[in-house]
Amino acid sequence: MRRLIAVLVVLVVVAAAGPAGYGQSRVTLQVAIAADVNVVEVHRNFLGVAFSKNHPTVGFNVVGTGTGEAASRAIYTKLKAQADAGRRNWDIDVAVVSMRYAAQMVRENLLHRFTSDLQFAPYVVGPDTVRAFGVDIKGYVVPMFRNQIAIAYNPQFVSKPPRTFAELEAWVRANPRRFGYNGIRGGVSGIGFTMGWVFYKTGQYDLLLQGPYDKAHEGMIRSSIEQLREFNRNVTVTSGNAGTLDALNRGEIWMGAVWVDQLVAWKNEGRMNPDITPVLIAPGLPIYPLYLTVPREAANRDWAAKYIDLVANPHIQAKVIVEQFGWYPGIDPNRVMPLVSDKAKALLFRGVTAEDLARYSRQMPLAEYYDFILLAYEEIVR
Amino acid sequence: MNAARPAEQVLWWLAAIPATMVIIVGFGFPLVQSLVASFTRDGVLTLANYELVYRLYRQDVVYTVLVAAAGLVLTFGIGIPLSGYLRLHHSQTAEFLLKVPLFVPFVVVGHAMRIFLAPRGTLLIFLHALGLVSQDTTLAISEGWLGLSIALAWKHLALVVLLLMGAFRGVGEEYLEAARGFGAGTLRQIWAVMVPMAAPSIGLAVVLSLTSMLASFSIPLMMTKGSGPQMLMIDLYHRYGLHGDFGTASAIGVVSYLLAAGAAYYYLKGVVRQ
Repeated sequence: MRRLIAVLVVLVVVAAAGPAGYGQSRVTLQVAIAADVNVVEVHRNFLGVAFSKNHPTVGFNVVGTGTGEAASRAIYTKLKAQADAGRRNWDIDVAVVSMRYAAQMVRENLLHRFTSDLQFAPYVVGPDTVRAFGVDIKGYVVPMFRNQIAIAYNPQFVSKPPRTFAELEAWVRANPRRFGYNGIRGGVSGIGFTMGWVFYKTGQYDLLLQGPYDKAHEGMIRSSIEQLREFNRNVTVTSGNAGTLDALNRGEIWMGAVWVDQLVAWKNEGRMNPDITPVLIAPGLPIYPLYLTVPREAANRDWAAKYIDLVANPHIQAKVIVEQFGWYPGIDPNRVMPLVSDKAKALLFRGVTAEDLARYSRQMPLAEYYDFILLAYEEIVR
Repeated sequence: MNAARPAEQVLWWLAAIPATMVIIVGFGFPLVQSLVASFTRDGVLTLANYELVYRLYRQDVVYTVLVAAAGLVLTFGIGIPLSGYLRLHHSQTAEFLLKVPLFVPFVVVGHAMRIFLAPRGTLLIFLHALGLVSQDTTLAISEGWLGLSIALAWKHLALVVLLLMGAFRGVGEEYLEAARGFGAGTLRQIWAVMVPMAAPSIGLAVVLSLTSMLASFSIPLMMTKGSGPQMLMIDLYHRYGLHGDFGTASAIGVVSYLLAAGAAYYYLKGVVRQ
């Protein structure tokens, strides 16, 4: 409770320090969020409230569109339809979408380039703010937070966690069905694991990331996926990230590929065995930020940018994004981490250190390679 | 019967317009749209979507049909004797219990069955408690075709019993008495009298449950894991939601229409013959 009050106090102080509102006419910012309910709640109950305190003419309508890539797709479809209809003043002002659809929307000219006007623009850093899926996205996105895929293990059964994919492969052979991940149908953590596997087996991270796309490399990718099929024979394929965490919790599996944020959140809520620890293995697993974006013809583009500036504020990032929800900061961690309590830091970086993140956080491959890998998985592994 | 006057006939036509429009706009138009989309990729007419369906999902087509067939066998294997028995030996409580699944949403059935049939789920705990299986046993049916068929059968049994009870009640008591007079037991009365006389209703119930099972989405989504064969509706959702591939999703949809239409065709043929 005390932490909650502290967070609210910080929010009010930060919001009060911001610039005063422009005109006095009443505005409702339409915020569409393609993520879990907890992300919707942050905007509805914390960030929106804080913003309205200093800009009383601005109200919020926060809508969640669901989970997984389908949720981002729902937002994309709506914006695309409005663009195709030649409509002005689209009805979404802030769209919080996955990396994949943010890239697609930039490519199809559906987003507004806004970050240069932000007070905290210098803190919007990192390779994932420059390129995503091979698309140049600089200026179009601010990561709300960053989410890392990692290998979580139960120390009760795993005394020496793997440090590389090769060690994981050997471990899985020695411990059949004790490693779990959710394939590619159950969400992005499984997809990310698959991408990490292809990076490992092909050794062609740079090529897959930067392209150009060349059909000549399809054979190499297919052969890595064939090896994944063999690997999968000794693996438990779960029904989703929550399924992997559940199985870990019940001791059905001893190791699994999961989102770090959900692991931390479940531990915070007391739903998870606190001993379960994440590790990042070489050559790395993808990070997958959730981006704040402004649609190209948003009715309230200026207010949308101001709102996103609030989310990019290091104090908000420290208190809300990191401490309250256990996510990695969306903006420059060097600006955020000094403001974070030691307890929250310990929880966030237990197992996966800041150095691990710097070394083993990987990007998703180019869209064409990404699609080809998914296709090959569906055809070969199933 | 007198022919309706012209003015009245015009009124009837007018009254039918809204409902007809709903069918055209809400069903016909999307149907045509998805048919067209299934043969189109990047604005060009092509069979590529069907090729992809064949390459990736042909096993899933077979799997979907087999799961639905197994679900049907279970549903009617239980539903027919049960309804027949209840026709002969009335029980208010049993009828009420049988109708309960009608009011349970699909997604809840999926979740409940997942927990009930999980490798170490409620069913297994129960069997352990009865001392029927050892502590180390795990059930492997929850995520496979059998678990799915059981869940689908449980959900559809209520509707089937409702339809069959109505049909069996329509079988005149005198026929059953005559059968009893020849020494027919309960099963014999059901099999030799009620089932043939209620055949059209049973046919309808079969078609209704089969199409519903082919189209099931939430139960497979709740119960299955991320590998192995899959029900078609999951593939359709996956193709559209994850890949944004409307063409292939539409092609899967068309395959599903064909499966459902096949069942409906046999039923209609039977009705026409009668």
